[in-house]
Amino acid sequence: MIYLQGIKKSFNQLPVLKGINLKIEKGEVVTILGPSGSGKTTLLRCLNFLEKPNAGIVQIGNIIVDSEKATKKEMLAIRKQSAMVFQHYNLFAHKTVVENVMEGLIVAKKVKKKDARHQSERVLEKVGLSDKLHHYPSQLSGGQQQRVGIARALALNPEVILFDEPTSALDPELVGDVLSVIKSIAQEGITMVVVTHEMSFAREVSNRVLFMDEGVIVEEGTPLEIFHAAKEERTRRFLQRISGESFFTPLKEQVN
Amino acid sequence: MTIDIPFIWIAFKEIIKALPITLILTIVPLLAGFLIGIGVALVRIYKMKFLYRIANGYVSFFRGTPIIMHIMVIYFGFPLLLDQLSLRFDLGIQTNKIPIILFVLIALTLAAGSYLSEIIRSGIISVSNGQMEAAYSVGMTKFQAMNRIILPQALAQSIPNFTNIFVGFLHTSSIAFLVSQKEVTGAANIVASVNLKFLEAFIAAGIIYWGITILVEGISFLLEKKVTAYNRGGVS
Repeated sequence: MIYLQGIKKSFNQLPVLKGINLKIEKGEVVTILGPSGSGKTTLLRCLNFLEKPNAGIVQIGNIIVDSEKATKKEMLAIRKQSAMVFQHYNLFAHKTVVENVMEGLIVAKKVKKKDARHQSERVLEKVGLSDKLHHYPSQLSGGQQQRVGIARALALNPEVILFDEPTSALDPELVGDVLSVIKSIAQEGITMVVVTHEMSFAREVSNRVLFMDEGVIVEEGTPLEIFHAAKEERTRRFLQRISGESFFTPLKEQVN
Repeated sequence: MTIDIPFIWIAFKEIIKALPITLILTIVPLLAGFLIGIGVALVRIYKMKFLYRIANGYVSFFRGTPIIMHIMVIYFGFPLLLDQLSLRFDLGIQTNKIPIILFVLIALTLAAGSYLSEIIRSGIISVSNGQMEAAYSVGMTKFQAMNRIILPQALAQSIPNFTNIFVGFLHTSSIAFLVSQKEVTGAANIVASVNLKFLEAFIAAGIIYWGITILVEGISFLLEKKVTAYNRGGVS
């Protein structure tokens, strides 16, 4: 379970998050939509303290941190509750695919090397990369790299996986691969928070959609409510513009 | 004046006996300086309170003054300091018993530390911030992330720069002959003065320096190829 209360964050006096309250149940898949600059990525990064909120309480699992007086130890503890998939993959460049997945297990979870290797191979099989175990990230396509990123997060078996625009840097052709992997994980009942611009993904996979603008959650609801019966004018305008722009949506078919 | 070609070989055989000293004067300062360099680079990157100013001053001073000056100041100043301390606290240190090479090594180490710290610092900065964030995201501490993720990449990328410094310090070690430490240049000077054949002796010394440099460049090339293989893409 994730619980946020009064999360505030400013960059150089520019308020980016203006007091976010949020509760996410175990097993829920929550997508965050919103225009750029709305604070959705910052909110995600505040969850694992890659950005330290200026105020507010973050709870993930049974770790509760008051961000105003968060110590290094607390930040580490809460980071261990989550894992993150990055927009630009951020795989460890000097480690092979299997080493990338093993790294967190060995260092942070203190799993024995041999067990870590077994677990990693199993997870990599799940994302369809069993044949690339000993390749370096630079030898993989963007889609393959992102699947390693997902495997790296998944292997840690965290309380929640945070996805930061996981398909934004990919070739349109490869987006479908990655989305279907995320979708299959979602069906296993792992809690996920996904920042995305993939409307079809938000619609089909998530249990709940948040719409953010200017540092606040403008509206939240089930995909059905948000996409077909949005209450707020701002939400409707955003969705209209997005759907207006995407005449060409081959992605939808691939996800299905 | 004529050139005595066969004497170059005779001089070469005599001068190369001093090569171990030259190598010690090159390798020891670089290894010790490497440790200083990592420490100083980290202090400056993380702007650690107070230490940060000292590190800045250290790098600025040692890169801003010639190495010959460091050697001279330490060679003449250190014994003075030790004598005073010895006198005051009755330590009974006899500075004239301290081998000269120790002073030279200290001076070169301090200089090497300042140069290496800048190389390491630029290497660390060149590793993308996303690597650190990814390390944090899987639950590593700052130390673990630095140790396992950032430094290996930073150091691998810095190999050409390290080679540069090695070659530079190989040649800089020749300054030690000014305080009568008999390394390659010192030996060449002695051979030259004794036989009055300066040109031949220094040609022989030059061949030795060049030979070592070529060897080091070759090793560096192979090492770089091996440790940065991850960065080259393509399918192996």
